[in-house]
Amino acid sequence: MYGGGNSFEDVYDKELKHEDPEQLAEFEARIERGEKIESTDWMPELYRTQLIRMIEQHAHSEIIGSLPEGTWITRAPGFKRKLALMAKVQDEVGHAQLLYAAAETLGKSREDMITDLINGKSKYSNIFNYPAFTWADSCFISWLVDAGAIVNQIANSKGSYAPYCRALERICAEEAFHLKYGHHCVIHLATGSPVQRQMMQEAVNRWWKPMVHFFGPPDKDSVHTRILMKWKVKMASNDECRNQFFDMYVPKIWELGLEIPDPNLKKDPETGIWNYSDPDWSEFKRVINGDGPCNKERLAVRRIAEERGLWVRQALKSPKATYTTPLA
Amino acid sequence: MESLDPRVGRLGIPENWGTLEPKSNLDQLETFEVFSIMKENKPFTHVGIVHAPDEEMALVFAKEQYGRRDSTLAMCIANSSNVLVSPFTDNNQNLYDFLEPSKALEDSVSEYQVFHLYKRGKQHQHVGEAEGKGYEDALNRAKEQYDGSKPVLNIWLIKSEHLLSTDEEDAQIWATTPEKKFREATDYRAADKIKRFKQEKA
Amino acid sequence: MKNEAIKELLYKMADDQLVLGHRNSEWNGLGPILEEDIAFSSMAQDKIGQSLEFYSILNEMGEKDPDTIAFTRKADKFKCCQYVEHPIGEYDFSLVRHFFFDYADYHRFELLKNSKVERIAMAAKKFQSESKYHIMHANAWMKQLGNSDVSIERMQNCLNEGIALALGIFEPSPMENVLIEEGVFEGEKKLSERWLSSIQSILSKTELSMPDISTAPINGGRQGKHTPHLQPLLDEMSEVFSIDPEAEW
Repeated sequence: MYGGGNSFEDVYDKELKHEDPEQLAEFEARIERGEKIESTDWMPELYRTQLIRMIEQHAHSEIIGSLPEGTWITRAPGFKRKLALMAKVQDEVGHAQLLYAAAETLGKSREDMITDLINGKSKYSNIFNYPAFTWADSCFISWLVDAGAIVNQIANSKGSYAPYCRALERICAEEAFHLKYGHHCVIHLATGSPVQRQMMQEAVNRWWKPMVHFFGPPDKDSVHTRILMKWKVKMASNDECRNQFFDMYVPKIWELGLEIPDPNLKKDPETGIWNYSDPDWSEFKRVINGDGPCNKERLAVRRIAEERGLWVRQALKSPKATYTTPLA
Repeated sequence: MESLDPRVGRLGIPENWGTLEPKSNLDQLETFEVFSIMKENKPFTHVGIVHAPDEEMALVFAKEQYGRRDSTLAMCIANSSNVLVSPFTDNNQNLYDFLEPSKALEDSVSEYQVFHLYKRGKQHQHVGEAEGKGYEDALNRAKEQYDGSKPVLNIWLIKSEHLLSTDEEDAQIWATTPEKKFREATDYRAADKIKRFKQEKA
Repeated sequence: MKNEAIKELLYKMADDQLVLGHRNSEWNGLGPILEEDIAFSSMAQDKIGQSLEFYSILNEMGEKDPDTIAFTRKADKFKCCQYVEHPIGEYDFSLVRHFFFDYADYHRFELLKNSKVERIAMAAKKFQSESKYHIMHANAWMKQLGNSDVSIERMQNCLNEGIALALGIFEPSPMENVLIEEGVFEGEKKLSERWLSSIQSILSKTELSMPDISTAPINGGRQGKHTPHLQPLLDEMSEVFSIDPEAEW
């Protein structure tokens, strides 16, 4: 699961000055033709660093993203839910593995990425810094946070970097299960007993703002990503993804009789653009910079998991072992 | 540390966790490329990598990372450092057309497994074996046998002895995978429930 | 009489799988290596799936539905062995339990494949294919951790401390003789012999030594006597379910 915005630094064309113009032209022509870039191809340094940054954030979002839903893994009600939630949390870990491998092809080892995550040097999707208070929160995440991630991932899967596309192809196929499972859970709560209904409505109330944040700040406030869009690294703008999400899912939420806590949420029939209230972007900035309700816990848990596993990895490590970059 | 997750409560994270030493770089295990066969009469296709301490463990890990859904008939793995990778061509260019006759011949003949990539962004597929006195020679032998109508963009050669494959007896470990419907989207249909809900409300 | 004995067998197998599957799912997202996290979760899912199948057979025999059986009974009605109830501990404890328990499973299914109760024989045949992977996994780990200086001592301690609990897996159930006479199941004694020989054979490929099998087994689970760990586990598992056991979740 992974959100859009705020994953890029300011990127300016002038950073390409030191690149060989001929190689750069060839590289850009290949992308222009719709061909994918493979890991051993020549690529501008900026392409490499921005891709590592993006894929790494995506991978971190998967491994950290397994925690809010993991909150309910031991308490899922009934066999069907228990099995599904186990399989879903497992998939998130699996996605992290696939994405770390894709980033590794660009020259950063998984260990280095995990170290940067734990030491607070890398970011991950903001939404996972919010707590899952009730079972209904986990259902909201399974359905709607995953739905948002799918919008983003499907866009990214048409990007230019072959190993990332291969990973995303597999991931998107698995997300179909997440989406249907999550929807199934929400349907059961929303159409269930008054207690279940209330539980679900409260979860929607809690999660709506982070959900709007999920796609990143509005394009007008976003950083310079023109060149990344040209190189097919960033594939859709934050506003495009958010609007697509509203378009696909707001009616599905409403049809279940759930209220969305934004009186201004409305589609303009002329433009097809959804209007929505300002979701307090200062909170978004505060949380992404470490001051959200669960930032500390998420990183502490990840770090403890790593530390408790340290002896295992040391025992497995043979003195002769050498690390090789994955091939594809 | 108090948490909403009872599991986290049991991890015993100290309240002052922030004072733990920053994590230093740990170990990075070796890398293994994983190939699997998903359908009868289809070739081994590259599915991804696992990090593992050795071949046996790599296969154990690969089985669940790449074979926990749908059907898998067989899997094999090779240490990434044992995969000989050719240069890449652009789409529609055939790498075999650029091969030079091999100069340096080794004394003994080895058997290699040959994998082709037909399109950038797709997966390498197994096409067969080629014997050769070293890598270059084997590539030229592969050209004689496997250069067909489709352009080949990239070739992997792996010495047969460097591939570890599940055997026929192992195949039963995938026997119940297709029955695990709880991992499939199709197991979560609830349109009736929405319909009934809307009718009751109307 | 025969039906009661069969139910007793199904309950203990199902309860074992449910409780251990639940325990092992606690590692999901917190495991030592990503690849292992995935593998261990799959095996936990297998166990939950197996327990569901056994509860379903019980349901066909007139017991309540699987969700009700699993999510509403109190600890003293459970027939699982005490080993599966213990918290996950460090990864060494969880791996050694997996090694001991899943070998018992593998051989149990092997014996049950010949059961005269066809429904059980079929389930056993199916689950043995899952179990085959579980022991492949356990073997690979025991070989790794049983031959590395970093881990030998930890693993040996877990073997030594776990053996009494592991032997409790084979605590005979009150009506076991009926099962043996009726050809339903050949019994815990036969099972434990096969198990022991596998355990010995795997450990002999490592630097680990065989724990003392003359240790008195920790029994009681099969009669509903449990550690203080089980009831809190069940309370946690049913926290949401028990908000409204009649509701569809």
